[in-house]
Amino acid sequence: MNIVGITACTAGIAHTYIAKEKLVKAAEARHHHAKIETQGTIGVEDELTAEDVKNADVVIIAADIGIKGRERFEGKRVVEVATSTLIKSPNMLLEKIEQKLQLG
Amino acid sequence: MQIEEILNENLIDLNMKASTKDEALRELTTLLCKEGNVTDGELFIQDVYKREAEGQTGLGNAIAIPHGKSDVVKTTSIAVGRTKCNLEWESLDDKPVHVIILFAVRNVDKTTVHLKLLSQVAIALADDETLEKLLITDDKAEIIRLLSNKM
Repeated sequence: MNIVGITACTAGIAHTYIAKEKLVKAAEARHHHAKIETQGTIGVEDELTAEDVKNADVVIIAADIGIKGRERFEGKRVVEVATSTLIKSPNMLLEKIEQKLQLG
Repeated sequence: MQIEEILNENLIDLNMKASTKDEALRELTTLLCKEGNVTDGELFIQDVYKREAEGQTGLGNAIAIPHGKSDVVKTTSIAVGRTKCNLEWESLDDKPVHVIILFAVRNVDKTTVHLKLLSQVAIALADDETLEKLLITDDKAEIIRLLSNKM
């Protein structure tokens, strides 16, 4: 599964990066490919390109605030969660997504 | 870009006396003030509590990452504390906290480098093995190594 996503927490200092790291690690352990853009206090890092989004099977938005560039995901399957949900149980989230995608 | 820019052994206390969340925050803020990184402890703590109100900073595995973006922070840095007491803290796993990593962040934008260092520390904290080691090591240099996430 090709996953792209965005993480953005309220202060943009820590949870943003922890959420991304946990998601990427969990995805890779389940043999998925994940590219995650962070929108923190530093600014945007690992920005998703149009190509990235085009090739994605699902978009995960883990945010506690409004994110930038939502229009990029029009027409895509988008899953939205709080950053704490992602940090707490990335595997459960991925499992749910895997099931949904299998059911088409 | 060196971790020593945001963390040194003076900012680590592995034997905190704190038995409550408030005491822990105050003990660590005192370290930051002593080091000259924070100029007004009271105001800083208020900013930390503002962030606490926005969402949980307990990550689970007995670690919490309170942080404050504040005008009274002179140097973006982190203070690390550990206590034997069970600290009640709003956590993702609802369990008590023993290790606190308090982030002090300048409001002014000159410190992108320091913010990058903070994000490296955050990434180190996404690793369960690192969290376990933080709970048991008594070596301050080891703490610094663990958090600098040398990959």
